[in-house]
Amino acid sequence: MNNDESQLDIASGKTRMEVAYGSGDGDDDAKAVVARKASLGVLFEQVYRPWNGDLGPRWVRNYAIFRHHVYGIFSSKGHRYYNPFVRLSILVIFLSSLTPIAMIFLSSTIPGEASEWLTRMWGINRYNLWGQVLGYYPRNLCMWPLLTALVVGGMISDDRKNGTSAIYFSRPVTRTDYTVMKFLSASTVLGFVIVFSYMLYYSTSIVFRGEGWAFLIDTLPMFLGGLFAGILLVFTYTSIGMALSSISQSRFFAAIAFLSIIFGTKLMAFLVEIVFETSILYMLSPYDSLAHIGQWLVGIPPNYDHSIAFSIVSILLYNAASIGLLVSRVSTLEVTRE
Amino acid sequence: MDKQGRSLSETVWTRLDRKAGAITELTVRQLRHRISTWVVLGVGMLMIMMLSAFYVDAVRDGFEPIDNDGDSEDWDGDGYPLGQERKFGTSDWDPEQYPGSGSYVQDGSIEWGDDIRTHTGNHTWEYVTGIFTPIWIDESYQGDRWSMILDFDSVNFCEEENDASEFMNSWSVGWGGGCEFENGDYAFQEVRFRGEGTLRVPRGHYAGWGHMTDVFDVEPEPASNYINEDDLDWNGNALQSQGFDDDGDCLRDDWNLGPESDFWFDKDDNNNGRDCDVIYVLGVDGVTVVNIIADENVDEDPDDEKLLGESNHRGFIVAVGKIAFVMILSIFLPLFLALGLVRDETENGTLHYLLSKPIHRGEFITYRILGYLLISGTFVFLMSLIMASVTSLLGPGDSIIRFGDIVVWVGIAFATILALTAYGALFNTLGLISSRYGVYIALVIGIYEFVMAVMTLSGATLVPVLSISHWTLQLVDSIVLIVWDDTLFMDMMSNAFGYDTILGFFWSPPAHTLGTENPYVSAIISVIVLIFITVSMIFFAQSLFKRREIM
Amino acid sequence: MTTESNTPAVVIDHCSKWYGNVIGINDISLAIDGGVTGILGPNGAGKSTLFKLLMGRLKPSSGSVRLFGVDPWESTSPYRRIGYVSETEKMYDWMTGHDFVSTLARLHGMTREEANSRAEHVMDFVGLADVQHKEIGKYSKGMRQRVKIAHALVHDPDLIVLDEPLHGCDPIARTSIMSVIRDLGEQGKTVLVSSHILDEIERITEQIVILHNGRLLALGNLHAIRDLLDKHPHRILIRTDHPRDLASAFVGSKPVYGVRFSEDDALEILTNDLSEAHSILPEIIVKSGIKVHSIENPDDNLDSLLKYLVGGDS
Repeated sequence: MNNDESQLDIASGKTRMEVAYGSGDGDDDAKAVVARKASLGVLFEQVYRPWNGDLGPRWVRNYAIFRHHVYGIFSSKGHRYYNPFVRLSILVIFLSSLTPIAMIFLSSTIPGEASEWLTRMWGINRYNLWGQVLGYYPRNLCMWPLLTALVVGGMISDDRKNGTSAIYFSRPVTRTDYTVMKFLSASTVLGFVIVFSYMLYYSTSIVFRGEGWAFLIDTLPMFLGGLFAGILLVFTYTSIGMALSSISQSRFFAAIAFLSIIFGTKLMAFLVEIVFETSILYMLSPYDSLAHIGQWLVGIPPNYDHSIAFSIVSILLYNAASIGLLVSRVSTLEVTRE
Repeated sequence: MDKQGRSLSETVWTRLDRKAGAITELTVRQLRHRISTWVVLGVGMLMIMMLSAFYVDAVRDGFEPIDNDGDSEDWDGDGYPLGQERKFGTSDWDPEQYPGSGSYVQDGSIEWGDDIRTHTGNHTWEYVTGIFTPIWIDESYQGDRWSMILDFDSVNFCEEENDASEFMNSWSVGWGGGCEFENGDYAFQEVRFRGEGTLRVPRGHYAGWGHMTDVFDVEPEPASNYINEDDLDWNGNALQSQGFDDDGDCLRDDWNLGPESDFWFDKDDNNNGRDCDVIYVLGVDGVTVVNIIADENVDEDPDDEKLLGESNHRGFIVAVGKIAFVMILSIFLPLFLALGLVRDETENGTLHYLLSKPIHRGEFITYRILGYLLISGTFVFLMSLIMASVTSLLGPGDSIIRFGDIVVWVGIAFATILALTAYGALFNTLGLISSRYGVYIALVIGIYEFVMAVMTLSGATLVPVLSISHWTLQLVDSIVLIVWDDTLFMDMMSNAFGYDTILGFFWSPPAHTLGTENPYVSAIISVIVLIFITVSMIFFAQSLFKRREIM
Repeated sequence: MTTESNTPAVVIDHCSKWYGNVIGINDISLAIDGGVTGILGPNGAGKSTLFKLLMGRLKPSSGSVRLFGVDPWESTSPYRRIGYVSETEKMYDWMTGHDFVSTLARLHGMTREEANSRAEHVMDFVGLADVQHKEIGKYSKGMRQRVKIAHALVHDPDLIVLDEPLHGCDPIARTSIMSVIRDLGEQGKTVLVSSHILDEIERITEQIVILHNGRLLALGNLHAIRDLLDKHPHRILIRTDHPRDLASAFVGSKPVYGVRFSEDDALEILTNDLSEAHSILPEIIVKSGIKVHSIENPDDNLDSLLKYLVGGDS
């Protein structure tokens, strides 16, 4: 005991309590009441004072949600937290989707046959424009699905897991706005990597190769076809990912589920095509349906036997089902930590 | 409780057993109580069901006989299939030529360097370049430039200054053309015509003569006669020369061959001194067939039900085993189920309950993985049994149940479960290494494994060695070869005879056999590699977890 | 099962634990054996760190921890004799309380039957016999706490460590948990209970350890500690309508060295000797004839105790 006493000599006062202890229980400031009798009771009048400030217009509120998600990629300060690994992956995928630009630049600097070869391999033509967004290897095998899984996986599931949807729903934000803005911000990130890199590819190759108006007029329809295919891809991937995110409680479930839908259906269809010689199962694969539509839009012969209508219907169904699921999930989302 | 009695009847092992049982059971129940588990297993089951539905559908359609050598086609549209035209030595590219249409048979020629440069007779002359003095010439036998038959309408008188002796030296009439001299002689260049007379051929040029066969009536055979007309013949003895030319398109004994038949055709293509046979090249061990070399047109169009049916059936099993089981189930099930085995407990804080019990942390990891395996392994095993029951009952063959199928499916389940274990241990370890980054890394590794599997399927054997999927796929290849030892053989037959079988696409002989080419060796190596990965991952996770401070 | 030999259940020897630059436990030495001991301290004082060190979750940065003479970081063997109630609030909600306890019991190497009967027994002991086959997800907070205690008792341990077992419970649950803990103490087990509320601990045990900022501030009987503190200045708060009149009555009496008027209707008496002040208090009040509403010892709670111990004097 005395021993302890000597330790109590904390003259410096450094151990002075800085912690606000005992918070939360209501017991903390309980005192030993020795003798006291309440003789009177008091009813406190409850007055609710309305807030008199001006509510910003709806788009400002929505833009704040959008900004919160998109800016988070660059800085976590005050914005949505993106895991550094996710940020790194986005950067790597973005840079690797820009490789054709480097090749075209190279082709414009070196002379002779090597330049021609580079142009043939990476220059603008129907196949390359299609391949820039819809090529299976490596973009749709390694990059886009992973990107979607990483970016979209946690969009709603994180809110469900942490109960942070309350942050939105306790404010003048409707659930529709919440969903739409989440959707938009996710597709903006995907679009930045997928569609923007595509546009960059097209425009820089024109600049580097010093192409003229005739070339531009020749290739613009193809470019627009590819652009539309890219936007469709971003939209479809986002809606599938968001739907999965809304039904999961962890971002990883959503991410893995997305990857397994993309790869699983593709593989299954491939298996059935090889063994049973029918390409119809590719309808089930979002990637292949998109690729089929993309081939049609850009104007290259399709790899699939079945009619383009099936692929269009499939993509429409995928989007309708996903958005339906997303909307119904979000509208019944309990504002709590699940 | 009787302490004394208890301690006698109990050993450390039974106690360990009970702990293992408890943790395993807890894990199983935990997984069972997650909806996601059921969703994932349900989707997996749906996939298997769909594949078997496709299979059932294909079996119902039966194996359509395929014309492997393509001789049932009628390319020129004259109503006679290629095989029949070949038999009669007529061309299938010329509708004017068909069996019984009459064909040109050569009797003699003046070659480029022959000393005798003249010939007299009544013939059909062919490829003639020279001066012809006719007794009679058939001006109605007309053709155009492309058929090489002289077009008499275009024959004019030769220029006066052109001397017949100088023909082809100082002047010519152009390919497929001719002109008439004032004395009634003709100068021809590369033409065909009919007539009687004397032909003089300038040195360095050629002329042939012969006769046209009679026109007779040949009934066109149906195309189906030329499908499955040559069976594969094999008596199981690789040392003998094998193969028999059932349809006779190699031996050509009773074939009515004209000069148009392929002069490059060689009855002994494989140079073993025997016409129209197949030789099997054995490996150094004297048992394994390393190559099959067939003479041309031998065993080229077998009964599809027999060979292709069987090899496509096997191909289906291998394809489903490799793609659905190994590539989809064994990569995605662990991603869904194994990633959080220990990580989730740590995150939730429920780990405290378990670790305050006298159980070693290393054991804990092992039992968790065991629990996960119990669910995923049972699932995979059940799925393989479903597929086994479908294919073993419906597959081609005489027996009612194909027992080989069941064994292969169990083997595929075994390989998949080994992969599930390895991936489970790997992903669990990743979750332990870093709860923040581990899961992302697991996603990337999942895709990497996927890519490696695709590479393995496409035949790469070096780079994919650094992946779990490669070894699992090889294990499947090995198991197939162990159960059906003639698979290698079928694969080589399809290669040798140029068939495009599914088996050939999905199955390839095991690559890592330490040079023995023995499937048992590659199977054992694969199992060892997979177990090694599992054990080292668990060991790594244990040593990591043992030293981990849990907040 | 009894604690054999003379090895104390818990021995902590010059133990410190740092988390990076933050200190969790600062050079603590303790030996605890038998009876209920309350570990007191505000949040962040190091109570949980101490328990996690005891349970081998953390490795001491220096010094040593021994449970029944064994280092818990190196070996799991002491857990056979320890029950631990962590502060974790998550449980397996899909399990029934009985399942939860029996599953964890099986980790002690019990057979399924043994585990089941032990689980029934302890569920009954903590008063959950009638709801033991309901899912934990449907339990109230107090019931969950009691299930957690039940799982820690299932193997009849000699040492029970309870990390904030009363946290977040309503008064009824609190009372029943307290009585469970007292029962355990009476059975001769070594029980460690942590709390940041002195009141709670006071109702369970008199033997306390006070931690603050990772340091050991006091150890021993609560009242003895308080007596030791008597020589520190104490306040007595008297609520009355006429504080000034009463103050004049106190001025001059021996143990009182000052008075203060903190509020309009209250008088604060400053004293060096609390017990003597209390003994003369009634007499003075009666003599003065002033009506007194209440007498409070605002310093008789952990808050003020700590303030004194740490050296604050406000």
